[in-house]
Amino acid sequence: MTQLTRRAVAVLACTAAVLWSQPDTAVAQTAGATKLRVFSGGQNQRPDLVRKLLDQYQARNPGVTVEIETGGATSELQRQYLSTVLTAKDSAIDIYMIDIVNPAQYFGAGWLEPLDAYVGPASEVFKPYLPVYAQSNVVDGKVAALPAFADAMFLYYRKDLLEKHKLPEPKTWDELAATARKVQAAEAAAGNANLQGLSLQGAPIEGAVCTFLLPYWGQGKEFNDAAGRLTLDKPAAVKGLNTWLGMVDQGVVKKNVAEVKTPDTVNEFKAGQVLFAINWGFAWDRFKDDADSQVKGKVGVLPLPAMAGGRSATCVGGWQWAVSAFSKHKAEAAKLVKHLASPESSKLLAVEGSLLPTYQPVYTDADVVRQAPWFSQAAAVVVAGKSRPMSAQYGQVSDILRTTTSAVLARTKTPAEGVDEIDARLRRLMR
Amino acid sequence: MTPPPRPSLLERLRDPSERLLGALLLAPTFALLALIVAYPIGRLLWNSLFDLRLTGGGVPRFIGLENYQLVFTDPDFWNATKNTLLITVVTVPGALLVGLGLALLANLPFKRRWPVRLALLLPWALPLSFAGLIFAWFFHTEYGIVNDVLQRLGLAEQRDPTMWLLKPGWAFAAVCLTIIWKTSSFMALILLAGLQMIPKSLYEAAEVDGASPWQQFWQVTLPMLMPSIVVALIFRTITALQTFDIPYTMTRGGPGNATQTLAMLIHAHTIDYLDMGYGSALAVCLFVLSMGVSAVYLRQVGRQAA
Repeated sequence: MTQLTRRAVAVLACTAAVLWSQPDTAVAQTAGATKLRVFSGGQNQRPDLVRKLLDQYQARNPGVTVEIETGGATSELQRQYLSTVLTAKDSAIDIYMIDIVNPAQYFGAGWLEPLDAYVGPASEVFKPYLPVYAQSNVVDGKVAALPAFADAMFLYYRKDLLEKHKLPEPKTWDELAATARKVQAAEAAAGNANLQGLSLQGAPIEGAVCTFLLPYWGQGKEFNDAAGRLTLDKPAAVKGLNTWLGMVDQGVVKKNVAEVKTPDTVNEFKAGQVLFAINWGFAWDRFKDDADSQVKGKVGVLPLPAMAGGRSATCVGGWQWAVSAFSKHKAEAAKLVKHLASPESSKLLAVEGSLLPTYQPVYTDADVVRQAPWFSQAAAVVVAGKSRPMSAQYGQVSDILRTTTSAVLARTKTPAEGVDEIDARLRRLMR
Repeated sequence: MTPPPRPSLLERLRDPSERLLGALLLAPTFALLALIVAYPIGRLLWNSLFDLRLTGGGVPRFIGLENYQLVFTDPDFWNATKNTLLITVVTVPGALLVGLGLALLANLPFKRRWPVRLALLLPWALPLSFAGLIFAWFFHTEYGIVNDVLQRLGLAEQRDPTMWLLKPGWAFAAVCLTIIWKTSSFMALILLAGLQMIPKSLYEAAEVDGASPWQQFWQVTLPMLMPSIVVALIFRTITALQTFDIPYTMTRGGPGNATQTLAMLIHAHTIDYLDMGYGSALAVCLFVLSMGVSAVYLRQVGRQAA
């Protein structure tokens, strides 16, 4: 229904109420059920589990009904959809689940209701959460959103294959490449010529931003300073991209890496065609539980390798709950967000979906560790992880990084050309 | 004698003169056109004069022609314009040739015409973005049918498959091929309608004069078909200048921005970057380009009619 027809219907309803009903029944109607609508992302954000959390909330809060809306398989598709809805100041959706890269942009645009008045000041609210989420959800000192679940990029690997070939877990990218070549050669001799050494995301999707940043950060370099200004070290960035291209040349990474999207990595790893894979935390659950997974019980998880002489660095992700500035039920929506971002909800998401908790204690919770034993070490990885640049223009920053990275991986540009282009374009945006 | 008193407005409306009646009857059309054509275009021009970045949450700031200055110094704009014009130059004649062939084929005296017509209609009935997604799968390096067929025919090495959508030239060709496949059926429909308007007697007369089928095509079919061809070309050219769906779903403008069109650049700036002012300026440029091309065509048509 359009805004106009909705308004027309509302006017008609009011007129009817005034003309035909008693004043007290009109009051009873408005005091009745509150309807909230929640946008909860795509399949990877597990709307099925969010629905469970909402059902819990409805059971405890009679009179509140919550509808769920899903959409957008990838972060940038969701960003497009939400930009359209929010630019139109649509009040139909009260609560949004948004990617960690978006609070700055959305809050800057005036689309998100500051939550301070409902949940308390930022300095207090974020104390129990992992610190990295305070950085990305507090904009200009205001609470822009509350964390739903954490995420970070991990290195998944085939435990069985490393054991079979008696090779240790790699600590650097060079070690990883060497290990992969050995395993690939041995497997090829045994008739399995299609084993990929490493699968990572080179298609121009949000994941490619991390593909650019991982080997750059891994050298101990910073992409931006605290104020969000670009601090790109061009030789380090070139070296980072060359790390991936070198692996393509060695046959560790497949040639068409610039075509690989997040689900491709998941599906090919699940099919047993990949030795090492870089992916988000959610993938664990897919490898472990999906009916078509060929690698059940054969998967290990490691922190991402470092560059030689550098340190391990990962890309922090995660999803947040935010209240629309155009919602007509902000107080009720904020109350629901508080529930969705509670330790209890975080635990449910961790136990049932292997979604990484946003609270430190949940990582070592007995029920959680039973489901995902590696979670006990994962908290340290998330805490040490790095945020992609926070910018009100993140949409454009991301586009420049992922498009150029993908073009370099497709070898239509040299790493030096690509880095020069990134530098020239971002220097105007991140200053 | 005094002249009769001027009738009141109400009386004039009740018994309107021919001129007034004409104006009255046209008024709703004009009002509608003003609402759906004049207003949006006016608003677009107006917006293009402002710094209208929604990401800042600030108030729109009047900046005159600054957006246009940025547009003309933006390498992305020139790249997208080049791509758009290239796509137009390649796919419009391409679709015309394929469409003409299809129309001639469909015009043959088949016993059952509907399967032919249906086959002709199908690509046209398919949404553009579907076509883009389907062909993206066709051209996928590993899972695509194109490389599979080439390998089966022994024309390509399995070890070293062509990465169609990752090489600028191939990606451009793949996008153009998809557009031609998708749009030639529309061409064929218009041309088929034109073919059926050509009286049989002309062919009979040509045959009596001893014209070969080839001569009949050049001397009868093509001249008689000209009006349909021009109409089809105008439509196709304008939609080609606005190409968006197929490259967007197939390549996302990639690799790099090798297949990014003007419409995609406008989309990126307005929807992704939320820079409405700059996006509007880009849209005005596309509008001017479309108007220019249409004007050239219409003058040609006018000359032919005269």
